[in-house]
Amino acid sequence: MKTPSTVPLGLVFSALVASRLLISCTSIHEYLIHDHQLSSPLTSFLNLKEGIYLFNNGVDPYSGGVFRHSPLYLSLFTTILSPSRIIASLLWTLCDSIGAWSMVRIWRARNNIVQSSRDVLVAALYFLNPYLFLPSLAFSTSSIENAVSLLAIMFACERRTSASLLALAFLVQLSLSSVVLIVPIILLLITSPISQLVSPRPFSGKWTQSLGHVFELAIYVLVLTLASTLVSGDFLWISQTWGASLTLPDLTPNPGLWWYFFTEMFDHFRPFFLMVFSVHLLIYIAPICIKFQYDSLYATFLLVGVLGIFKAYLTLSDPGLFLSMISLFPEIYPYFRHPIVTSLLHLHATMLLPLFHRLWLTQGTGNANFFYASTLVFACANGAALVDCVWAGLRIAIGEQVDGYAVTQE
Amino acid sequence: MLWRCCLVLIGALCTPVLSKHLSNEEFREQVSLQTLQDGRVASTFSFNILLKDATPREPRTLIFDDESQHYNLFPLALGQILREYAVTELHLTLNAGKWNYDSWGYPKERDVGTGAALWAWMADGGPTSIDYRWQGLRNALAGLFCASIGSLDEQRTTSPVLPFAPEGSLPDWGVEHELRHASLASEHVCTENLTPFLKLLPCKSLSGIASLLNPHRLFDADWHGMGLHVLWNPDAGVEVRLAFQLVSDPLRISAGKKQDWSFSTLFDRTIERTCPVAQSSIVDVALPREALYNISPEPPRIDQNVAFYDLTNMSEALDVKLKWALDFTYPLDPLKITSMPISVRRTLQGASQDRGQLSLVIKNNAPFPLQVLYLETMPWIVQFYLHTMRVSSDTSGDDFISNISYVPSVPHSRPATFQAVLTLPTESTVYLTIDVTKAFLRYTEHPPDAQRGWDLPPAIILPLSSSNAIRSEFVGRIYTPPLLVDLATPDFSMPYNVIVFSCSLIAFIFGNIFNLLTRKFVVVRLGSQQGTSKSKHD
Repeated sequence: MKTPSTVPLGLVFSALVASRLLISCTSIHEYLIHDHQLSSPLTSFLNLKEGIYLFNNGVDPYSGGVFRHSPLYLSLFTTILSPSRIIASLLWTLCDSIGAWSMVRIWRARNNIVQSSRDVLVAALYFLNPYLFLPSLAFSTSSIENAVSLLAIMFACERRTSASLLALAFLVQLSLSSVVLIVPIILLLITSPISQLVSPRPFSGKWTQSLGHVFELAIYVLVLTLASTLVSGDFLWISQTWGASLTLPDLTPNPGLWWYFFTEMFDHFRPFFLMVFSVHLLIYIAPICIKFQYDSLYATFLLVGVLGIFKAYLTLSDPGLFLSMISLFPEIYPYFRHPIVTSLLHLHATMLLPLFHRLWLTQGTGNANFFYASTLVFACANGAALVDCVWAGLRIAIGEQVDGYAVTQE
Repeated sequence: MLWRCCLVLIGALCTPVLSKHLSNEEFREQVSLQTLQDGRVASTFSFNILLKDATPREPRTLIFDDESQHYNLFPLALGQILREYAVTELHLTLNAGKWNYDSWGYPKERDVGTGAALWAWMADGGPTSIDYRWQGLRNALAGLFCASIGSLDEQRTTSPVLPFAPEGSLPDWGVEHELRHASLASEHVCTENLTPFLKLLPCKSLSGIASLLNPHRLFDADWHGMGLHVLWNPDAGVEVRLAFQLVSDPLRISAGKKQDWSFSTLFDRTIERTCPVAQSSIVDVALPREALYNISPEPPRIDQNVAFYDLTNMSEALDVKLKWALDFTYPLDPLKITSMPISVRRTLQGASQDRGQLSLVIKNNAPFPLQVLYLETMPWIVQFYLHTMRVSSDTSGDDFISNISYVPSVPHSRPATFQAVLTLPTESTVYLTIDVTKAFLRYTEHPPDAQRGWDLPPAIILPLSSSNAIRSEFVGRIYTPPLLVDLATPDFSMPYNVIVFSCSLIAFIFGNIFNLLTRKFVVVRLGSQQGTSKSKHD
């Protein structure tokens, strides 16, 4: 990206898609597909294939404990597509392309421009982010969820209400934790995506509009839930898919904070802490949406960051989406307090996570605490990024630093 | 008064005689000894108690008080359990060691799966559910046999009807009978299980064939196992069979040279006197076919190369001795050794603690194609990826596997049941592999010696009798040895630390974010007298 202004977006974009497709056609997925950091039990391609196999052979996949994907995936892969390597390569490349393209469109909508020299950078940062790239090569369905959430945000930025709400309803079907994004996206629909961080103002949208949106979303969710129930035949899928992210039946390691906490939890405290961890995710919605009422896109971005730290069954895609979305807000860069510390923490965590995972489970020379410690470092890195983004998003309103003065909080 | 005492005394003396001929109960005992191809000796004790014209209790009568139970020979402790939980058919086996089918052939008592296995047929329709009664039955038998049968909970219970078809008859009460089966491969069988077993016998181990059951020698054997089988036969009544089976190695004592054995060398005991209530009491010894030998005492009857001794009119202590003229030579050609139609090998492959591959290799030794039923009951700690199942053979053709039925496992509650029919072409080997993932358990779910791993129950291969030319003696269940699976363990010493670390980190991030969101931004002039000069943002 030496001189982005001279590089046409179409060319770079197709080059990125082509290289992405080429890499996914190699056998690299065989090494990644089992990786616990790239796909959780809720997003693993192997579990998806197992569920499809069971479904095709007349066994209810939701009667067991392996398949925890939405029935929508089941209907997609049993009717239109088959879960073969080639189809998967194409589909996951398509999802990445949709995600990257949505990022570019969001960027354009935020700056209210038709085209800019930064488009290429935004697309490339989505394509080349290893946190997004590797889960996608492992065919983790979290890549599909990322693409759908970016679609929902993009449509919201472009004021295409129904499309945005439909994408949001799909997102909630695929991953329950995404309910956190409902409020900021609806707020985004009734306000504007254009950056207001520099000049905070009271909420400008019309509240009455949001009621209609909530109603429309409820209808979509209801229709999709009914469709899911029709596909799977009964309501068992609800406890197996949505219920799993609330009750954590599968304690397979992931880079998140839940799995080891609930491995080590005392049995009689388990329900209490499950409730605390689930409610904790929701606690951030109201304060962030109220504080950033003048810039709902920024609030959405921060809540994506919250999901990327505290979600149950976290994969690298979730923080990856947050980190790639930072490219949408270049105006806050000068106000970061500790970007180097954050980057070094991320570097530290990305080296430790695969290493300690292997030492614990394959080599047998490390124990569970090694991997647990690296997930803590990873959470610190994501937390540092999120806190810095909150700070910078607020600090930008004060304006440039002037000699002899310092900005702080009371 | 005196004559009354005399009458009681005479009555007491006559009881064994009376019960032997007049009561509606029968007791028969038998021990079969057989020299195996590798020089070991298999002894199978079987004690049959028949309760004539009795029927199992119908579950619908559980709401009423049961009729009083009076038995002379039938074990009361067992009878009470059977009536209390309305069990129609019951099988319990407790085995230790690996039955080596390839050199030992089929065992006389077919169920030789390692560890504890319990299965029961019970009818529905009672005031309490079958699962509730199954739980009660498990706990009652655990108490009766001092074994960990109580831990055969719903995490291990399956219902594989086909390979565990009822051996007796099921009464036609107009309600469904259901099977419950559970096994625990890690159960260790020892003398504390034998003592309650002997207590169920009419003569305990004081007389008759049971007097050979010397725990010091039984549990020193290469393989030993006991079984309890209760079934109902409409023509006879309720039959109880208590069985003990062991494989001892006489070559070990003679430094690998002579395979001579006698009751005294095998059991360190002889049969001193008969059990007076036994209707029949028989010792049978399979005689060697192609060797010079000497058996003493001289058997009264030899039938089809089997020597029979009847103990009912025994005059002196019996110590059967079998002596060979020549030293033992180990048969080195493996093809000659095996008398089994199939050989099975099951392994769990893969070094990683998070996944692996289950591999089954079945060799058909018979000169005709065979069909076998393959049953895998897998605890939820090992989950199958059925879509990765590959079946191949060293001969051409396909369709080696058919009729797959699968009940997936549920974490923390239900095991998986995988059942399929394998077609084995003539004298060929069929390979089956399935990828598996290993579950990650809560720290409270691990056993105290977590690093040892978990024993997985044996797989069961049942040759189907519909196959042409298969002999009726080759239709019993074949058990593979159990597997040991190595699961990833958390650190058991630091639940508090983990809770504290995770909660601190969450609180730190939460606190920081809320701090930033709620506190007012101010611009401070540095290094001079005044503090806050302007506040802009809230």
